[in-house]
Amino acid sequence: MIQLKTMMNCIDNSGAAIVECVKVLKMKRHAKIGDRVVVVVQKQRNFGPESGPGGSVSISNANKVRRGDMRHAVVVRTAKKLQRPDGSVVKFDDNACVLINKAGEPIGTRLNGVVGAELRKKNWSKILSLAPMHV
Amino acid sequence: MPPTSRPLACWKSLLRSSRHQKATARSLTTYHHSKPASQTPITLPWNALNATPHVNRKIKTYPPPPSPAAKFKEPIKDLHEAQIAVLDPTGARSSLFSKSNPEAARVGDILLVRLKTGDPFAGVCINIRRRGVDTGILLRNELTRVGVEMWFKIYSPNVEGIEVVQRAAKRARRARLTYLRKPKHDMGSVQNIVLQYQRSRSAIQGGGQNDRRGNSRKKGKARR
Repeated sequence: MIQLKTMMNCIDNSGAAIVECVKVLKMKRHAKIGDRVVVVVQKQRNFGPESGPGGSVSISNANKVRRGDMRHAVVVRTAKKLQRPDGSVVKFDDNACVLINKAGEPIGTRLNGVVGAELRKKNWSKILSLAPMHV
Repeated sequence: MPPTSRPLACWKSLLRSSRHQKATARSLTTYHHSKPASQTPITLPWNALNATPHVNRKIKTYPPPPSPAAKFKEPIKDLHEAQIAVLDPTGARSSLFSKSNPEAARVGDILLVRLKTGDPFAGVCINIRRRGVDTGILLRNELTRVGVEMWFKIYSPNVEGIEVVQRAAKRARRARLTYLRKPKHDMGSVQNIVLQYQRSRSAIQGGGQNDRRGNSRKKGKARR
């Protein structure tokens, strides 16, 4: 149930940690898993020295987005229950999204965290292949 | 007191008669005398029927059709039973969640649901919603440090089988263990318990194939 002002976790390595929804695209109601939203980066992720090959890179270089940036994103987890066509229901403990560019390609190169399988139905296969797990 | 002491008493009857005359004179022009309603002939359909000569003809009556309510006392129950008979012919799923079965799965147990499409899902059962053929279970697990809850319909054709991975140590004193969502009571990930169980099952079954994806089965027909 992602709507205006909803704060979400950003689970990719684009540099955003917490983002706020400012617009749900192409619908009049709240966004669910697989829906596209416009977000504002509210909190940056500060990569420590253990952040892989870019360990020595400063924060400004490692982060592809900065605080205050407006980006598109795809919702990948919702705390609201989502029913599937077979009657099963999935619910996560948090709301999470993945930042994308205008063309729909993910800005980050890695995802950490489980994503919903509804992304396949909505043709976000690139995000699904990046994700470590989907349910 | 004698009547002669009231000299003006004669005026009383005079005034009364004049008042009466005045009233009738006033109403003469305005009051419309119509015939009383009962005297006017009204032609209404039932009146017309009554007007016809009364003959003592016999009206044919039919018995009511047999009521389906008498035939099917509890239609919803019958429907549920019929559907369960189709979806669960062996009765294994019904017995796994029946209240009369002492070996049945209870809340607090760790269950593994194998699906026809997609990976199996395991988790702590925190709710069993018994509603006939719509009976569902709520499983909670932690995947990649994110809590995930899933409802499954136990009679769903998409559910291939349900296994009890681990029984609860103690009988839960609640019907719904929603408190397991709180950080204080959260069991965390049960993935390692499930993996251990799957490994042991595959060892018992003779180690046919790697059961990382939970292909070991307890009941139902064999896939391979």
